[in-house]
Amino acid sequence: MIVSSAETWLHKVNPSLKLVALIVLCIVALFIHDLNYMMNVTLGVLLLFLCFTGHSIKHILLLSIPFCFIFISTSLTMILFGKGETLWFEWGLISITEESFMRGLLVGFRALLFAALGLTFSLTTRPVNLFYSLMQQVKLKPKYAYSFMAALRLIPIMMEEFQTIRNAMKVRGFEKGKGIRSVYFKMKAYSIPLLSGSIRRAHRIAVAMEAKRFSDTRDRTYYYEFGFSKKDHGFILYFIILLLAGFYLSIQFPLLPI
Amino acid sequence: MKKGLKLTDILVTIVIAVAFGIVYIVWGSLYYSVKPLGLHVDQLIYGMWFIAGPVAFLVLRKPGVALLAEIAAASGEFFLGSPWGLTVLLYGVVQGLFAELVFMAFKYKKFNMSVAVLAAIASCLGSVLMDFAYGEIGALSLWNLSLFMIARFIGSIFFAGVTAYYLVKVLEATGVTNLVRPVSSKDYAELDQK
Amino acid sequence: MERIVHVEKLRMKFPGDESLLFKDLSVSFDRGEKVLLLGPSGCGKSTLLQVLSGLIPNSIEVPMKAEELKWPTSWGYVFQDPDSQFCMPFADEEIAFVLENLSVPKQEMKERIQHHLRQVGLNLKTIHTSIDTLSGGMKQRLAIASVLALEPEVIFLDEPTAMLDPEGTKEIWDLLKGIGRDKTVIIVEHKIDHVLEFIDRIVLFNDDGQIIADGPKDTILSLYKNEMKEHGIWFPGVWDEYIHDNKPIREHQSSDGVPLMQVQGFSGFRKKEEKIKVEELQVHSGEWIVIRGENGAGKSTLLHALMQFIKTNGTYELMGTPIKRVKNLTDHMTFVFQNPEFQFVANSVYEEIAYSLRIDKRTQQEIGERVHSLLEVFRLEAHQDKHPFQLSMGQKRRLSVAASIVIEKKIILLDEPTFGQDSKNTFALLEWFEEYRRRGITVIMVTHDDHISNNFATRIWTVKDGDVISDEKVSTQSGFVETKVLSF
Repeated sequence: MIVSSAETWLHKVNPSLKLVALIVLCIVALFIHDLNYMMNVTLGVLLLFLCFTGHSIKHILLLSIPFCFIFISTSLTMILFGKGETLWFEWGLISITEESFMRGLLVGFRALLFAALGLTFSLTTRPVNLFYSLMQQVKLKPKYAYSFMAALRLIPIMMEEFQTIRNAMKVRGFEKGKGIRSVYFKMKAYSIPLLSGSIRRAHRIAVAMEAKRFSDTRDRTYYYEFGFSKKDHGFILYFIILLLAGFYLSIQFPLLPI
Repeated sequence: MKKGLKLTDILVTIVIAVAFGIVYIVWGSLYYSVKPLGLHVDQLIYGMWFIAGPVAFLVLRKPGVALLAEIAAASGEFFLGSPWGLTVLLYGVVQGLFAELVFMAFKYKKFNMSVAVLAAIASCLGSVLMDFAYGEIGALSLWNLSLFMIARFIGSIFFAGVTAYYLVKVLEATGVTNLVRPVSSKDYAELDQK
Repeated sequence: MERIVHVEKLRMKFPGDESLLFKDLSVSFDRGEKVLLLGPSGCGKSTLLQVLSGLIPNSIEVPMKAEELKWPTSWGYVFQDPDSQFCMPFADEEIAFVLENLSVPKQEMKERIQHHLRQVGLNLKTIHTSIDTLSGGMKQRLAIASVLALEPEVIFLDEPTAMLDPEGTKEIWDLLKGIGRDKTVIIVEHKIDHVLEFIDRIVLFNDDGQIIADGPKDTILSLYKNEMKEHGIWFPGVWDEYIHDNKPIREHQSSDGVPLMQVQGFSGFRKKEEKIKVEELQVHSGEWIVIRGENGAGKSTLLHALMQFIKTNGTYELMGTPIKRVKNLTDHMTFVFQNPEFQFVANSVYEEIAYSLRIDKRTQQEIGERVHSLLEVFRLEAHQDKHPFQLSMGQKRRLSVAASIVIEKKIILLDEPTFGQDSKNTFALLEWFEEYRRRGITVIMVTHDDHISNNFATRIWTVKDGDVISDEKVSTQSGFVETKVLSF
């Protein structure tokens, strides 16, 4: 889908390991409350995102545009309405304090970190590879893995159906309805055909898969086999160093004085 | 009951979730366009994100479906490369788990609107807990926090509870739910008619 | 002869249905036989095929019982919808999925994948080709390749060409004939032209899921022709008989005055890419226009452009008014989609037809009268309280047409309206369109069916590579054909 053709070392990291590492880092980030530390970690992850996804600079910059939006939208509420002692500015309901400002930045950077981690993963990992790896390394049951893969294949088909429904609603004169009643109608008109069609299609695919002798045994062979390599060590090492060095630097050379 | 969900159950659940995943993308653009206002108008429609779990459960009526649906709905966005992907994935797991617990508390035997609403409230609670950790909302001033919570709970009850229930009612009318629901022994008995 | 598939006294009932689908049905098949199951739509042929393979009850739970049931030990199954039988995104991965299920070692997979793709004549640049880029016919080839990977003794075919155009249909049957030569093949199919030379036996069903005849194909074909006609089966010659009995006349109405629709230097865009180009076309009232062309030539895109579903530029006038200034386009034109379900908005057949009238604020009495007359014309009275999704394929199509024309429009656009319909439904639909045309309504349809272009159309547009290359006026009365070559 959006996985780049130019492969970097990040593409070659074991997909399960990559996913687990990212999730662990996210959970760690939930417990980081020091702004300087959070900024360092976020910058370290942004470095990965900017340099090693194998996408062109232009594409990366394009993908980065929502990042600003994420940062602002996440931090703004906290900055404007957060609790705090040292008042900087007050206007009506809005009160910006030093504490609320710093906490706003913290939350903003955390959102940025999650976004960069998530995109770095999806830009360098084919979903099919992830699920094959999850079956092999994490012992995910094949019935779950193949269901996910089959469902992913349906996304473009469902998007197209969504567009068709939109056109059909135009033909049926949907724009003419107004008020709450028409909102309810609209919601029903979109979701019912989409859902019932999808359920029937999913059912048919499941039957077709079993007609091809799919069964949930684990002694199946695999077209793609995944193991571990030096790239995986490097990947883990990168995050360990990032967490340690980020911490050290935040104390020795803080970017912001707090 | 045979062990766990069958392939059909799993695939249908995931596809229902993915269908909502597509709705979420449209919903997301609406959500983020009102969000920077800061006064939590956005929270009223936040509840839409909890709908996949109750709908999937009410359609299939099997254990584990609500949790799977929330995870799948969240992962759809993740794979499509949304910058919110990973955040959404973590939230999805927690929300799904909370909804699942409600259905489990009723031994997976209740399919009425109250249970859907309870599941919606539970999902909402799960998301609020995540917000305390991720968005540090505990540090918001009290009036703002209360506004935020009330808006989100009302929205959740409406979208993930009431709307989910009625959507499934209409789906039942289309006949599609017969495909995926367990067959009763009464249906077998009817084979012996003359 | 050795019996390879066999069922004795089968009983079966779908939950919620009132009566049994099968009541004590028995049938058996010998090794190497090629058998066609024929019957009206909804008689349970496809369901029976699933029982014979064991898909019911092993994969689909439906209440059933049988005194004896013998499934084949090795079998493969080709389904009708190319888009709902794959679970992987790439061609090689899809066949690999089958090989994995059979625990074939990884080292052997590449070679076997290439072998099976060669067997079905699917010459891809690389085996790692995205399934989404394949045409319907190629997808069915891939489906057959993955069935071959199972090395089956018995092959079940459930309308494998239902979604294909005539050319694709012929190719797939040619392929299946070669592949099925030394296997047992059990087939469900409506369009039987290409199937007949392949099979040796026919099992004929009636509406109640009972077998009314079972024997060698020639005997059945000659003895049961009327039953087949009654059931809407596309047996060879059904079109010729229809034309012979009905003699449709295509006369032109006077085409002076302001054209109903006029386009000039017109283009339609999808994702900013020009997908269809028209130099000049005019449409008058009372015309039946067929849009012809190969798969992917841009026929549907042309309809979408005329309906303004996609961005267009150039001159496009409706009754002399530039299209951008036409306020409610849908008051003048309507569109019938290929999949009727997308168009349905109401919870019952009655409400579905009434919907547009209600939006238009017609009186209760008028709504009642109008809806009832349409229910009668489209043979839907008995189903008026059902949910539209619960109808059969043919009924859904009729309902979508009825709901689109409940308020009369000047132009009706249709995307393959007879696709997948049985002969009875097809002729009924064509007759309704003809009646509208005579009343001065213009019918514009995309269709692959040459019989329609040859017997009903008054004008034919041919689309090739995103370009309308010819505009022919045809009529039966004078045998007069006027062709305007637009561009090459």
